[in-house]
Amino acid sequence: MRDIFFDLSVRSVRLNYLRSILASIGIVIGVIAISTMGMLGTNMQLETKDQLSAGADTVVITPDAVRMGPPGSSTTSSTASSVITKTQLLKIKQAAGSNASNIIPVYSTNTEFTLSSIPGRGMIYGIDPDHITEFLTIENGTNIVGANDALVGSTIATNFNLKLGSRIKVGSSTSGSRSEVKIVGILKERGQAADSVRTDNAIVVSDDWYVKEYGGKDEYPQVNVIVKNVDNITGTEELITAKLNTNAKTPVVRISDASTQLSSITSTLSTMTTFILAIGGISLLVAATSIFNVMMMSVTERVQEIGILLSIGTETGEVRRMFLYEAFILGIIGAGLGGIGSLVIGYSVVSYMIGTTEYFFLPDSIVYIPAGVLIGIVVCIISGLYPAWRASNMDPIDALRSE
Amino acid sequence: MADTPLIRLVDVSKVYHLEAGDFTALDHVSLDIMENDFVALMGPSGSGKSTMMNQLGILDVPTSGELYIAGRNVAGMTNLERTHMRRDTIGYIFQKFYLIPLLSAYENVEYPLILKYKKRDTTGKATALLEAVGIDKEMSAHRPTQLSGGQQQRVAVARALVNEPKILLCDEPTGNLDRRTGYQIMDILCGLHKDGKTVILVTHDPKIAEYAHHTIRLEDGRIAES
Repeated sequence: MRDIFFDLSVRSVRLNYLRSILASIGIVIGVIAISTMGMLGTNMQLETKDQLSAGADTVVITPDAVRMGPPGSSTTSSTASSVITKTQLLKIKQAAGSNASNIIPVYSTNTEFTLSSIPGRGMIYGIDPDHITEFLTIENGTNIVGANDALVGSTIATNFNLKLGSRIKVGSSTSGSRSEVKIVGILKERGQAADSVRTDNAIVVSDDWYVKEYGGKDEYPQVNVIVKNVDNITGTEELITAKLNTNAKTPVVRISDASTQLSSITSTLSTMTTFILAIGGISLLVAATSIFNVMMMSVTERVQEIGILLSIGTETGEVRRMFLYEAFILGIIGAGLGGIGSLVIGYSVVSYMIGTTEYFFLPDSIVYIPAGVLIGIVVCIISGLYPAWRASNMDPIDALRSE
Repeated sequence: MADTPLIRLVDVSKVYHLEAGDFTALDHVSLDIMENDFVALMGPSGSGKSTMMNQLGILDVPTSGELYIAGRNVAGMTNLERTHMRRDTIGYIFQKFYLIPLLSAYENVEYPLILKYKKRDTTGKATALLEAVGIDKEMSAHRPTQLSGGQQQRVAVARALVNEPKILLCDEPTGNLDRRTGYQIMDILCGLHKDGKTVILVTHDPKIAEYAHHTIRLEDGRIAES
């Protein structure tokens, strides 16, 4: 059986369709805002987690000092070196022992480069070519073979329209002699990699070329230890700590892995998501005010009708229900359209902002649409509570007298 | 039981507390209305007719005194009980018809049935009542604004009757109608009285009051003549 109070509410909404639609638009925007913001934040988190978990088997060892200058210049803090030395590398190898499948020292610095007279700036990594394919993926081309061969990241390749065989002049444009490298391979996108080797906007050269260009042989800004078994990662870290950081007050190296970075980045992204959700929430608050306003108008316009209903034996609860239905209908319309809008706009925003939609339909992300719709409906019903209460508590005699 | 009044007012007063001071709309009124009475309430504006009707329709409660309807003291009833009594025992016919604008004529008549039985009318009672007051099926699908004043009042009469109330309260039911239509409505009310309803009628028109079996004249909130 159709509830007559629901029918009355539907007819009231239809009678004032323009006003109802305008009020619902607020809810549409609010739902789209919170759903899209929520999905954007979650997609960011999921993508970051995925990228970091790719390096979950890697322990990253960096010197426990603020590096003041480029490697080799030895401008360091007074208590520790800015690089990992050959002796320290040896100790790392001893400490990690059979736990490690590979120990990869990585040279790196920031550099200027020029391509067909277009200047650029980015990181340059010097890695033993034998180790490169152990943690980097070459998407296009081959690994470094020749002395002047280089690999480039996907972003730099796209931005500068680099092709295999392109040549890049590396080094400061003010210095007289600038070396040239030839691109033999383009690396797969790595994003915020857990091992801090972020190659997307970088050039990767052989360690020999790097030392020849920048000096600082056997002085590494970073060493990556790849463990055989991820379960042994903490144990390996403890062994390295025991070997190198003999004095707890003045540690020599800083040891981290994906889990510490993951929790730190996830926590930051989670805070960001909450913040942008709160911004979306503000639009829903504005929508709530608009629904409240429309509901109050509906009550005011229907005072005499309320008087009739009460005088011929309608219970106060039934009058209340009628107005809550009206708020609910506005909520269903607004939140329903908002849900559909969230799917379209959310998909577009995520695709544009993150560059991939592979996480969009995962439960963690898509759940923001039904959640947004539900919140939209609940907000409408809450906005209708006071108007409904006011309608049901009218004095029927006064209500009948009103024109 | 036949001697027990259907409506009994014992020393009923209604005082409104206004900014300008207290206003006594009903002043110690005592009155018995028996079952199947046909009573006309007359009096000048401000004499207390509407206040009296509001008391009898349990839309309001007396400031002092006691009001019994169908043997129950209104003062001792909860809001919900009063609502149910309005729904089940009293049929209200207003001067301005007061049909629900969003419902069709048929739905307006069906509405009190739904309130009482919590389901749509499947017995055809609403249709039968509409036909009895001269509203055909085609007209019953119309909204109140699509009906003439006389047709609206007929629908209002059908609505007042649908839950088979004992009491019919008619607040100037012909006040917004032309004379001919007014008499037609009065004929319907007379027929209902013959069928056993207790009819209480407020009117300014002495000719309309003549339909009643006796007339109560109110002046300054008191019964001047009964």
